[in-house]
Amino acid sequence: MGYKTEWLKGIFPALITPFTPDDRLDEEAYCELIRFVLPHVNGVVPCGTTGEFSYMTLEERKRAVEVCLDEVSGRVPVVAGTGCQSTRETVALTEWARDAGASGALIVAPYFLKPTFNEVYDHFRAVDQVGLPFILYNIPQCAGTHFKWWTAEGMALDLDNAIGIKDSSGDLPFMDAMFEKVKGKVSIFVGHDEVVQPALAAGADGAILASANLIPDVWQRVYRAVQEGDLETAQYWQQRVQKLVRIVVRCSSTQAVKEGLRMMGLPIGDSRHPIMPGGGFKREDYGELRLQLEMLGKIKKAPVTYDLGGRQVETEVFATPQTPRTISGFTLKVGEGFAGPPFQELAHVDLLMGLKDGPVGRAIERSMAGWGEERGLRIINERPRTLLVPTVTIRTAKQRRLFYEHAAEGVNLGIRLSIEDGFLPEGILDDVALIANVFVHPAASIAKRVEFNNYKATRHAIRKALEGRPTVEELINEKAAARHPFRYAP
Amino acid sequence: MPVKLPWLKGVFPALVTPFVKKTEEVDEGAYRLLIRHTLPNVDGLVTSGTTGEFPYLTREEQRRLVVIGVEEAGGKPVIAGCGASSTQEAIALARDAKEAGASAALIVTPYFLHPSDKGVYQHFYDIATTVDLPIILYNIPQVMDRYLPRTVVEDLADLPNIVGLKDSSGDLTYTMELLEYVSDRIDIFIGHDEVVLPALAGGVSGMILASAQVYPDVWQKVFRLVAEGRLEEARALQRSVQKLSRIFCRYGGGVAVKAALKMMGLDMGRPRKPLKSVGGALIHETRAEIRLELEKLGKIPVEEAVFEYPSGSLVERFGDLEITPGIITAHRMRVGSGVAGEGLNKVQIDLIAGGKETPLGDAYALQLTYPLHGREALTAILEPALTVRPATLLLPTLPQKNLRQANMIYGPTQSALARAIVDALEAGLPSASGGTGGVKGRIPPAAVDGEVMVALATVHPRALDRHALYQSVHAAATQALAQAFSGARGEEPGTREEE
Repeated sequence: MGYKTEWLKGIFPALITPFTPDDRLDEEAYCELIRFVLPHVNGVVPCGTTGEFSYMTLEERKRAVEVCLDEVSGRVPVVAGTGCQSTRETVALTEWARDAGASGALIVAPYFLKPTFNEVYDHFRAVDQVGLPFILYNIPQCAGTHFKWWTAEGMALDLDNAIGIKDSSGDLPFMDAMFEKVKGKVSIFVGHDEVVQPALAAGADGAILASANLIPDVWQRVYRAVQEGDLETAQYWQQRVQKLVRIVVRCSSTQAVKEGLRMMGLPIGDSRHPIMPGGGFKREDYGELRLQLEMLGKIKKAPVTYDLGGRQVETEVFATPQTPRTISGFTLKVGEGFAGPPFQELAHVDLLMGLKDGPVGRAIERSMAGWGEERGLRIINERPRTLLVPTVTIRTAKQRRLFYEHAAEGVNLGIRLSIEDGFLPEGILDDVALIANVFVHPAASIAKRVEFNNYKATRHAIRKALEGRPTVEELINEKAAARHPFRYAP
Repeated sequence: MPVKLPWLKGVFPALVTPFVKKTEEVDEGAYRLLIRHTLPNVDGLVTSGTTGEFPYLTREEQRRLVVIGVEEAGGKPVIAGCGASSTQEAIALARDAKEAGASAALIVTPYFLHPSDKGVYQHFYDIATTVDLPIILYNIPQVMDRYLPRTVVEDLADLPNIVGLKDSSGDLTYTMELLEYVSDRIDIFIGHDEVVLPALAGGVSGMILASAQVYPDVWQKVFRLVAEGRLEEARALQRSVQKLSRIFCRYGGGVAVKAALKMMGLDMGRPRKPLKSVGGALIHETRAEIRLELEKLGKIPVEEAVFEYPSGSLVERFGDLEITPGIITAHRMRVGSGVAGEGLNKVQIDLIAGGKETPLGDAYALQLTYPLHGREALTAILEPALTVRPATLLLPTLPQKNLRQANMIYGPTQSALARAIVDALEAGLPSASGGTGGVKGRIPPAAVDGEVMVALATVHPRALDRHALYQSVHAAATQALAQAFSGARGEEPGTREEE
């Protein structure tokens, strides 16, 4: 007995569902996204977990699948997410998908009221009666139940229409048990972006991924490389996108993917509440995801003019739609950067940027002529002239080393790379100065983390100062939900 | 029918083990002082338990602790911690304890290599039938990564030498299950400081607690009040130590207990490595919190605070920023002040806003080059990475003498100020109907990039209620913003009749 179907293999993005500002399905943006991924994928999955199926009405889910089917118009298989909590609704929606022309359905284990495994088994047995090929979907992070291998094996072998299993747990021993039990009979798909390459190498038939919205081309390369036995290439690309996909998987994937797409210029709105910007996908994740997309060439450079009051400097920076094309107000700019973990090694940089003959430059000269040495201030860079200010009393030799060597090196690296990437263009290096208030926790130990975190915090602080982030709109949207970690007693 | 031990009830401190700095030798003198400190309010002692860092002690050191405990206990029972990963070692420790005069052994579920339920039963069975010493079983899943299964306890309770069980899980469903199944045969002790009262009310015989060496008097009272059915009073006492108990249980264990004892004048030295006295499980911020709570409990004296809220002409309060009334007038700066809250939660905010090009821009930058003078400025943020606009500094007017005070500024004051600013920012946006909201104290859009602000905050040095403080700061800052952004620019508010 071979595979139940031939088409279920390769890379399938778990499509996000775009919503308009007034919270309706944004059909136009959805089609644009589908056109963006289509050249690189073997199929698409509308209304999966990343598609926020759990925040959509049945009518919206149906409409999204219809729009997807229309846009794809038969070029690749469309696997519709039709899982619901109750068997009755799941069967009804799967029947609808069958009639609408979907190639198959992705059906999540029923969640919230945690049914036992025999109840889960009978749920899928009922779905099997519909007659539409379907994929059993294991995602314990969300559903709260992790398929037992014997349940999965039983369903894969007994149910005629169960053509595949998607495992998003990232639990490779579980996947290995699946290869042992049912490889070659049903398609085994990996759904955890951090372990795609090892899963494919071990025998997975394909991948359904959130990050395949952003980098479908990379995953197609990984998939093909593994098919051709070129593990070195596959490993290279997995490693290259590892940080990007870790951010996506662990930091509120729907919002992370949407913000990533937006940075790349696709007109995609935010997730539906209670997922929100600045929530699971934090501001520091935004900066890191952006850097990763820049590195992969997904965000392009654009010309920007810096207006230094009478003199204009042209530069090119990796621009998102949020990046102003003219930046002025160099008298005084404020940017804050924050990076962790871990707690004791986290970096918090309060950055001032401004003209040398303005408040920033004058403050540097005055402090260095006065209390600078006594209070541990240090000029760590001349172009741009940069003053490092410790915000915690330095008492021990270890603190001294962590601050003046590692944190300082981190700040300088942030500056160097900002010069390289155009945000600090050569033309302003003699005109502006920086003041970096840097915090190193007295209990910090891991020197390299202090360095990396300060590098990240500085690089992000520079960009935030220049781009004027957070915006007034962001502040207002998040003011009620903001949670300062030190606001509460232990 | 098994016979229970008559003395096995009441309050037992799980003593820390004091060490000499540098050498890490056991500090026997300090141990004796600690015992003398607790003895009047306890019914017995527990040596080398989890709080006593037993995994870091040699067999001989553990024996010595029992010897000293018996010498100092004045006839009260000493329960010796005899926990070990292997059965053989646990037996050796229990033998030592018996010879040293211990009244019972406290033996933890075997750990690291996870034995099966059968293995766990056999472990306790072997000890109980080899050494003639009463045994208290010990469930502490937080460090063992597993529970002592109830069914195993049920069977062990039939052995004559098994006399009790200490449950440190804090999981009252487990405690209740044990009471249901074995309290007719053995005594159940609560080992989780946060749930002492409910456990006592539920029927446990006593407590073995880390915090029973910090406030044994409180626990002794709770124990007696529950016995007398005076639950109202017992609740009030439990609540008075709830936060400290939580800190001991979750944020530092024995390390936090040592920090508390040191503040009370009992120096027990540092923990053995790899534990750190601060910066590991116990972070600096939490240590400051312990001091606050000990002050509240009256275990350490409170320094009187002598200070004043700024008064007099508002335009003259910004001298620290080198901003004079003349400069305020010349550069048409905005000033406003607000006061809110009562007693320790009273807060005053004196706020100034002005163009980045004015001397206020210079003051803003200069403040951030002037650290470590006791009242450093910090940026107003809603939360890390959400800096408000216009850029605003928070400058405490009183010296920040310790982290305890700083904890009230970082966080509660900082985010409340930020919130008030964003509220004023929202009020200043053009409304849907076109005009600006017309709300008093709105920040106009032009100020977002063009101006900076500095808020002088006077917070009571002994403030300790973060929630109340947040409300006060928010109210005071809202008033200050209202005054600054609705009055005339460049002068003392209220000097001109409002239109």
